[in-house]
Parts: sequence; structure tokens; C-alpha cells
Amino acid sequence: MTTTTKSAFDEALLRRHENRPKRISYLGYVGVSMSLALIILLRRQRLLMAAIIALLPVTIPAATAYLSESEFADYGSQIFVHLVEQLHINVLAPLLALFFATMQVGEDVESNTLVYMQTRPTPRSAWVLGRYLAYLVVTSLLLVVSIVLTFIASTSLPGIGINPSDVMLLAHYCGVALLAVMAYGALALLLGAATRRPIVYGVLLLYGWQGLASAVPGVVDFLTIKKYTDALLPVLATQRQNFSMETELGTFQKQVFLVDGISALATLFVATALFLAYSIYCVRQREFASSRAIGN
Amino acid sequence: MSGAILEAKGLSKWFGEIVALNNVELEIAPGVTGLLGPNGAGKSTFMKLALGLYQPSRGYVRVLGESPRNNPRILERIGYCPEIDHFYENMTGFEFVYHMNRHWGMGRKDATAAAERAIERVQLRERMDDPIDEYSKGMRQRIKIAQALACEADLLLLDEPMTGLDPQGREEMFHLVRTLGDEGYSVIISSHILYEVERVTDNVVLIYGGAVLASGRVAEIRDLLDDHPRTIRIDTPEVRALAALFAGDDHVLSLECGEEKLTLRTRDASAAFDRLNRLALDADAPRITGITCSDDDLQSVFDYLVG
Repeated sequence: MTTTTKSAFDEALLRRHENRPKRISYLGYVGVSMSLALIILLRRQRLLMAAIIALLPVTIPAATAYLSESEFADYGSQIFVHLVEQLHINVLAPLLALFFATMQVGEDVESNTLVYMQTRPTPRSAWVLGRYLAYLVVTSLLLVVSIVLTFIASTSLPGIGINPSDVMLLAHYCGVALLAVMAYGALALLLGAATRRPIVYGVLLLYGWQGLASAVPGVVDFLTIKKYTDALLPVLATQRQNFSMETELGTFQKQVFLVDGISALATLFVATALFLAYSIYCVRQREFASSRAIGN
Repeated sequence: MSGAILEAKGLSKWFGEIVALNNVELEIAPGVTGLLGPNGAGKSTFMKLALGLYQPSRGYVRVLGESPRNNPRILERIGYCPEIDHFYENMTGFEFVYHMNRHWGMGRKDATAAAERAIERVQLRERMDDPIDEYSKGMRQRIKIAQALACEADLLLLDEPMTGLDPQGREEMFHLVRTLGDEGYSVIISSHILYEVERVTDNVVLIYGGAVLASGRVAEIRDLLDDHPRTIRIDTPEVRALAALFAGDDHVLSLECGEEKLTLRTRDASAAFDRLNRLALDADAPRITGITCSDDDLQSVFDYLVG
């Protein structure tokens, strides 16, 4: 009844082969992966929460201006610089990476939907890259909008004129923030692909380790992303107040081991590429895992 | 294509100290094949190895002549309906199948047309724009099968596809799998219920304790299994009326009435299932809301076969 004869099977095989649609290109797969990831991201309540958190810094200059209008004109741009450096680049960029990049692969592993992708002929690298690009689009938009609004809130009050150098400063900070989003996101994506508790490891690495390494005199801060994003900030690191420089040895070492802009930029790109490559490797090597996998 | 559609040689898979599959030597010919074994026997592990979801610990598996792991040439020819009941959140049935088609590599138009065809085939067209979160277990099962069917695969691997289906849904699924076989698809369907396998194919592979116990025609296997009494649990709001219908049957060894549940012990499970099936489709008969075949019995049968 249901046992297909060899010739019938071969005929059906040939017919299906002829009718089977032509598969899309590699970039097409990247786009498909990205569009599904965007749909998943945009339908999540956590996006609203992340947007609210990302926009919180905007309230600070606005509140400062309201409370201290007479002095605000002098400090508006300083507040902006402080907020972008301390909040947007060093707190929000890692936070948004933990919010969105860890879930890009990690959630598929956690919810077992990865099995649908693993049984499709999608190139694993295209799938990972698509997911990463979706994260990059959403997070970059959130962060850049927040930085621009913070800038506007800091400088658009009566008496503060925006000059071209301010706009250049804004563009510079946006660029550094995007690089931070890029590097932190790749690391967070890797944590999602390689570990069971990416958020925990992410918090430990991005806040615990980075904070510690930045404060300790010596060269350990070379093993942080912050070292390289800081090196790209418009204000020279040596001119910035930093409590780790309070000791003479610390000051000496920080001066000796400063990273120039080009090296910092190259390091961020290389680190991002390595994190992504290792994420792809993890996805390729990953075996199906579920609590019911063993022995079923 | 010549010979086996799936070939395993010395195939073993272990997880730490647990041996899930041990030295499996198997060739599966084109057509519909049932993979029968109790829970924990190694059916799903075997399927996952055939899909390349696991790397074999020893030996190898070839599907359509090649290793399946991370092999797009083979994966584009396999459709898989997993046993797990997980989906992307906030997605309709159509969107799910459409996106799976896109990940297969179809363009937008092809993906849309293939999704509609597959959903039509599993009779979910009317509900395809509803969120999957609102689907019943049976509908979720069907949408998983639709995503497996949509890509015109040469080989379909269906892992426990009858789970959660009501009697009507099971009948439709039996019909669908038989039709796929008649259309020249190769289907490997796993189940722990002989009756389910028997309804869709003559070919069966028995897996038990991570090893292939036997393979061959269902009738030969059934002769062995029918010597053993089986227990079937039937969910029905009309327990006594249903029990009365079975009371006079020769194959029935005992009937036990519970709260909206009838436990039937029979020495001929196929006869009992046939009867239940007819009753489920008969509008005048007591309503049957679910049928469960106790796995303990199959386990004991396999223990008996192993000796």
C-alpha cells in the first residue's frame, strides 16, 4: 500500500527536483534571517522597556535646565559629554547588547526553536550574521536617537547656540556609540551562542570585569572593550579625570599604555569579527539540546 | 537514486555515560517506514542523527547518500516535524510556515505559495492567520507538519506526529501520511503505538534500549506483540455507555470505569483501535475525547521480545 516502488520513487524524486524553487543567494539568507529577527524583536515588550531605559538620559539635561536655568547655558555641553561618555557608551551600549544580542541565538537555544533553523539549508554564518544585523539596527537606532535627543535637550535652550563644532562633537559621539554597540553586541551574541546563562556572564564581563580592569593600574584593561571605546572619545584620555590615575604608577602606566585612535578602531573591528566568527563556529558545532533530548 | 534512502553503520550516540543509541546497523528503503519503540528507546535520537542535529559518537549515518550534518544539499531535501512543541512568539500559523520557507531559501512569492499549499494540505487554512499561541495542541501539531511539507522534501521525518491529535485528527493524519507515501515521498514516522504505525505503513523498525531490535513487515511484528495484553485508556464523558459497547467483545479482557475515563484491557489492540476509531467517527456513539495507549505495556512487550 504505502511501500513505494523504486521507479515510482525515482520519478517522484525527479519531479520534485524539477519543481523545487531555486534557493536564494547567501546575502538573501542574511536578509531572511535579519527580517525574522527584526519581526521577533519589534513584537517584544522588552523593546518598549529598552526604549524607555535608553531615553532616560534625555531627562537629565532637561531637568537640570529646568532646575538651574541661569547656569545651564555654561554647563549644557559638559552635561552632554558627561552623559554620553558615562551613560550612553559605557552603560547603555553594554546593557542594550545584553538585552538584545544575547537573545539572538541564545533564545533559540533556550526555547528549542533552533531546531527549525538547524534543519534548514540556511548557511549557519548567514543566519548568525542576519541575527546580528537585526540587533545592530534596532540597538543603534535606540542609542543614536537617545544621544541626539540628549544633545538637543542639552543645547537647545534659549541662550545656547549650536555651532558646527557641536554638531561634529555629536557626530563623533554617535560614531563611538555605534562602535560600542557593534563590539558589545558581538560579544553578547557569542555569550548567547556559547553559554547557557549569557545574561549572567554578560553582566559579570561587561560591568564587573570591565569596571575592575579599568580601575586596576596596569595593562589588564587592554582586555576590555571599554579601553578601546574610551580611546576613541573626543577628549583625550589623559585629560579626563580618572580615579585609577591617582597613584603615580597608575598615571605612568596609563600614559605609557594609551591606545591611539587607529589601533582602537582596528581592535574593535577585529574583536567584533572574532566574536562573530566564534559565534558561527558555536552554532555550527552545537548539537540539539533539550531536557528531553537524551534517550528519546 | 538507488538503494536505501537512509543508511546507518555502527551508529552510536552517547551523552556522557548514557548510551542513547548503540551500534545501529540499518538501511531504510524509499517509502513510508515506521520507527516503533517505547519512550526512551532512542527513536528521537536516531531521527536527530539522521537530521545532523547530533554528531555521531561512533559510526555514521548517510541520508540520500550523504552525511546530513551541516550539509545544505541534504537539508534542502529533508522535512522535519519535531516532537517538541515550541514556536516563535507572537506569530501566526502562516507567518511561521512562510518564514521557515524563507529560511529554506525560497523567494517571497514561492514561500507564500508553498506556505498556503502546505497549510491547505493539513487543513488549517481557515485558522492560518490566527496566532499559534491560540492554537489547540492538534493544530500546533498540524502547523509543524505543514512547515515540514512546504519545502517539497524527498524525505520527511515525523517525530511522534500523532501526539495531541484527537481521533478525527489522527484519521486525517493517517490519511495524509499514506497519501504522501503514494505520491512517492519517503516518510519516516516515529511512534510508541503500533496501531499508529500500522495504519500508515507495512514497514517497521523496532527500536529498544538504543538498539534496533527488528525490522520488517508490521504483520510479523504484530503477531509477536498481539500475544501480549494491551491497556488502552479512553477519555469520554459517557463512560458507562462506551463500556457497554465493548462489554461483549471477545478481545476485551477487562473494563474499568473511572471519572470520564475508561480503561480497556485487550488481547487484540488493533481490533480495539479499529472499533474505537469507528465509534469516534460515529455521531450517534458516545463521544470520545482522547485515546492513550499505555506505554508501560509496550515496554513490557519489548522486554518480552528481548527475552
